[in-house]
Amino acid sequence: MAVQEELKKIILGLLPQVDCVIGWGPGPDLLCASPYFMRRPEEVDNFLAGPMATQNTALYLPEYKGKKVALVVKGCDSRSVAQLLAEKLIAREEVRIIGFPCAGVADMGKIAARLAPHGEPGEAEKAVYGEKELRITMAGRELVLPLAEIKADKCLRCAHPNAVFSDHFAGEKAAGNDDEFKDLAALETMSLEDRFSFWEKEMSRCVRCYACRNACPLCVCRDHCVASSRDPHWLTQADGVSDKLLFQVTHALHLAGRCTGCGECQRACPAGIPVLLLKRALSRAVEGLFGHSAGLDPETRPPLLTFQVEERTIKEKAW
Amino acid sequence: MSVSSTVSGAAAPELRIVGFLCNWCSYGGADTAGVGRFIQPTDLRIIRLPCSGRTNPLFIAKALLQGADGVLVSGCHPRDCHYAEGNFYARRRLEVFKQLLPVLGVDPRRFEYTWVSASEGQRWQMVVSKFTEQIHSLGPARRLPGAPELEWLRESAG
Amino acid sequence: MDMQGKFIPRAQLDDWLAELAARFRVWTPRRAGQEDSGAVVYLPEARQPELNRKPTESAKRVIFPRSEPLLRFLRKPDPDQTGQKSLELQVPDADGPNLVFGLPPCDARGFLVLDPVYAGVKGQAGDSYYLRRRSQTVLIARACSRALTTCFCHWVGGSPSSTEGLDVLATEIQEGFLLQPLTPQGEEVLDSKLLLSAGKEQMEAAQSAWQAAEKTLGPGADMQGAQEALRALFDNAAFWQAEAASCLSCGVCTHLCPTCYCFNITDEAVGEKGVRLRSWDACMFSLYTQEASGHNPRQDKAARLKNRIGHKFSYYPELYQTRNACVGCGRCIKSCPSRLDIRAVLTKALALSRPAAGKPETTAPATVRPAAKPKVNKPATSKPVAAKPGAAKRGKEASHA
Repeated sequence: MAVQEELKKIILGLLPQVDCVIGWGPGPDLLCASPYFMRRPEEVDNFLAGPMATQNTALYLPEYKGKKVALVVKGCDSRSVAQLLAEKLIAREEVRIIGFPCAGVADMGKIAARLAPHGEPGEAEKAVYGEKELRITMAGRELVLPLAEIKADKCLRCAHPNAVFSDHFAGEKAAGNDDEFKDLAALETMSLEDRFSFWEKEMSRCVRCYACRNACPLCVCRDHCVASSRDPHWLTQADGVSDKLLFQVTHALHLAGRCTGCGECQRACPAGIPVLLLKRALSRAVEGLFGHSAGLDPETRPPLLTFQVEERTIKEKAW
Repeated sequence: MSVSSTVSGAAAPELRIVGFLCNWCSYGGADTAGVGRFIQPTDLRIIRLPCSGRTNPLFIAKALLQGADGVLVSGCHPRDCHYAEGNFYARRRLEVFKQLLPVLGVDPRRFEYTWVSASEGQRWQMVVSKFTEQIHSLGPARRLPGAPELEWLRESAG
Repeated sequence: MDMQGKFIPRAQLDDWLAELAARFRVWTPRRAGQEDSGAVVYLPEARQPELNRKPTESAKRVIFPRSEPLLRFLRKPDPDQTGQKSLELQVPDADGPNLVFGLPPCDARGFLVLDPVYAGVKGQAGDSYYLRRRSQTVLIARACSRALTTCFCHWVGGSPSSTEGLDVLATEIQEGFLLQPLTPQGEEVLDSKLLLSAGKEQMEAAQSAWQAAEKTLGPGADMQGAQEALRALFDNAAFWQAEAASCLSCGVCTHLCPTCYCFNITDEAVGEKGVRLRSWDACMFSLYTQEASGHNPRQDKAARLKNRIGHKFSYYPELYQTRNACVGCGRCIKSCPSRLDIRAVLTKALALSRPAAGKPETTAPATVRPAAKPKVNKPATSKPVAAKPGAAKRGKEASHA
C-alpha cells in the first residue's frame, strides 16, 4: 500500500513531462486490474499496484513511438523494456521507467482452481488483496487464499522482482529467487511419445484467437504474421492441431534468446494452454549455449543475432 | 566401392526425408556425388536454398510437424560461406532448434545439420547414407492428426 | 400445459446422455487442461458435463464450426479438349444431428442472433451449411444458478433462466434436474424410460431457483438509445482511441463470443485437388479489412473496437431490424487479457448521448427483473423473456422477415 502511494507521487510528478503514464487501474472485477493510461492528475487516484497488476505494460511501448511515455514496471515488465531497447524497437529518451519491488502477481487460473469447491471467481462479491492473503467474499462467506498459493508460477521463480533498470524506484528492493527451469521438469519426466501426445491434447483446445501473439511484448511482426491467411500461406485455416502447434513453435523460435519469460502469452490464452513452456525450453537452451538471459541489459545483442567463429559450446555431430 | 552397406535396405519402405541445402557448397557437393556416381539412398528430397543462413527454422518445423520423418540441413563449412557469415548465424539457430525438439516430443535425431563443400562428393554420400540409416532406425515419425476438413487432400497426398 | 416436465437424478444423467448419443452427436461443456489453467470447452463427449462453471467458449461452434469445408475441387484432364483441364466440384458430406446439453441460456440466445444473418435476407438464398446444422441441433440449456460479475444478460433481454431459443430447459433441483420441453423436438428427446415425471413440488423448486439466480445479477442498464448513441460517436476518434488504449487486437472477444459470426474463405490446395474452407475471422484483426490494394480502412485498433461494439448494438439491430447482437454472456470481459469491459464503453457512450443527466444510468437495483430489455428492439422479434418456460419458440422462424 505504501509503495502504491509512493508510486502515485512519482506518477504525478512525471505527468507534466510525458504524453501519458502507463500503469494499472481498476478492472471489471476486484481480482484483476486493467492496463491504465493516465494523463490527468485526477486519474492517478485510481492507480493500482500489487498482485492484481498482471498485465505487462511494456506491450504498449512501440505504439507510442515518437511520444514520451512513462511506464510503471514490475521486474518482468522491465526486462521486456530492456529487450525492446536492446533491439532498438523503442528509443531510450522517449521512455521513463518507474520501478517498484514486485511481490508477485495473482494467477487467475490458480484462484479459480482453489475456489472450485465453492464457485468460480466471477461469483466473488468482494475481493481484497492483503499483504499475505486474498480475501474473497462469496455467497456471504469469506474465503482466505494465501498469496503464496495463488501467485503465478513465473513469480515463484522470479530472479528479478525489482526493475532491472529504472529512472525512478518506489520502496525497498525485494529479494529474488533462483530460476532453475523446474517448470520444464514435469514435461521432461514424460517419454517423448507422451510429450507429443501432451501437445496434441493441449493444442486441440486452441481457438486461434492469437491472444498469445498479441499479448507478447516482443512479437514484432504484428500485422505481417506467419499465421496470416494470405501470403505466404504457411498455415492453413483448418481447425487442426498440426497448424496450431506449428504456429506455437514458430512463435517460440522467433523469441529464442529474446523471450524474457513474462508469461503473458500463457496468461492471455483463454483455453489455458501452457504455451510458455516452449519458450522456456528455448530460454534454457540459449542460456546453456550462450550464457545469455534476455532482457537484463539494454545494451546486449540477442545471441541469435550474432555469432562466434569458433563456437565452443556447440557440439556438432561427428559423422 | 563399399557403400552398399550404408544404403538403406531395399526391402524397407522409403521414408520421407527433406534436405535443405545451400546453393553454393552442399548442393554442389550432392551434385559432385551424383556426377561421381556414388550410390546413395533415395529417401532424401532436396530443397535448394541460397544459403544455410536462409534456413528459417520454420521450414524444418513445418517439415517435421507435417509429414517428414527426418530433416537434414547442410551448408558451406564455417569460414567458407559464400556470404561470409550466413552459416555462422545458421549454426546457432539450428543448434537451438535441435534442443527444442525433445520438448515437443520429437526425437532430436530426426534432425541434423552439417557442412559439405562442393568438392566433397564422398562426404555427401557418407552424410546422406548415415542420416538415412539413422532415420530408418527411428522408423516413421508419429503424425499429428490432420484437420478432418482437409481429409480429402491427404488422401491425394498419399 | 401439454408438454410434460421430467426429472432426472444427477446419478442417472450420464446414462441418459449415453442414450441420446446413439441418435445425436452429443456435445457437453467439459473441463479440459491442467487444473490451474483449466478451461471449460464444448466437446463431443456425452459424459460428466461441467455444469458448475460457465464454459470458457460459447457453443456456437457446434452449428458454426471454427472451420468447415464448403466444397472440394479437382482439376482433371478434359476428355474433350486435349491439354485442357476441367474443374470438378464436390459438396462435402453433411454431418449428422447434434445435441448440446448443458449450455447456459445466453449461448442458446446467441444462435438467434446468427439466424437472420444465415437465413438469407429479403428472399435471398440462405446459407445451407448453417441452416442444415441449425435445424438438426437440439439445445438443452441449464438454467444458471448464479450470475458472474461479468454477466449482463439482463441488459440485453436475457435472464439466467431464459427459455428463448431452447428445446429443453434443465434446472438443477434436489440432486437432479427438472427438464422442461419447449419444442416438439425437445419433447421428443425427453421421451426416455430413464426420466421420471416431474411433480408440482419440483416445478416450485425450479421456480425458486430461477428467482434466486435473478437476484445475483448486477445492476441493470437502460439501453434505450444505444443505436443512436453509437452512431453519434462514429466520427469521435478520440473517444474510441481512449477506450481501445488497452486493446491487444487479438481475437479472444470475437472467438469466444456466441454472436460473432464473421468468417474468412480460403482455398487449401495440394496439386490438382483443393478444399474451400470457411473459417472464423475476427474484426479485431487488421487483416480483416485489409484490401487487395494494401489500403486498410480500419487501420488502428480504435477503429476496430468501434466496429465491434457499434456492430453489436447499432449496425446489426438496424440492419436486421431486430435484437442487439449481444446476449450479455460476458466472455469478452472475463477472458480479455486486458480486461476491457464492453459494458463500461457502452455506459460511457450512452452517458455522452444523454446530455441532461450526464450520469450513466447503471444504478438500477440489482434485484430488478430483466425489465431492462432493450427497448430499441422491434417488439415483433424480441419476445419478452419469461422465467416460466413455454412462452418462447425458437426464434429462427420469427426473426427474419
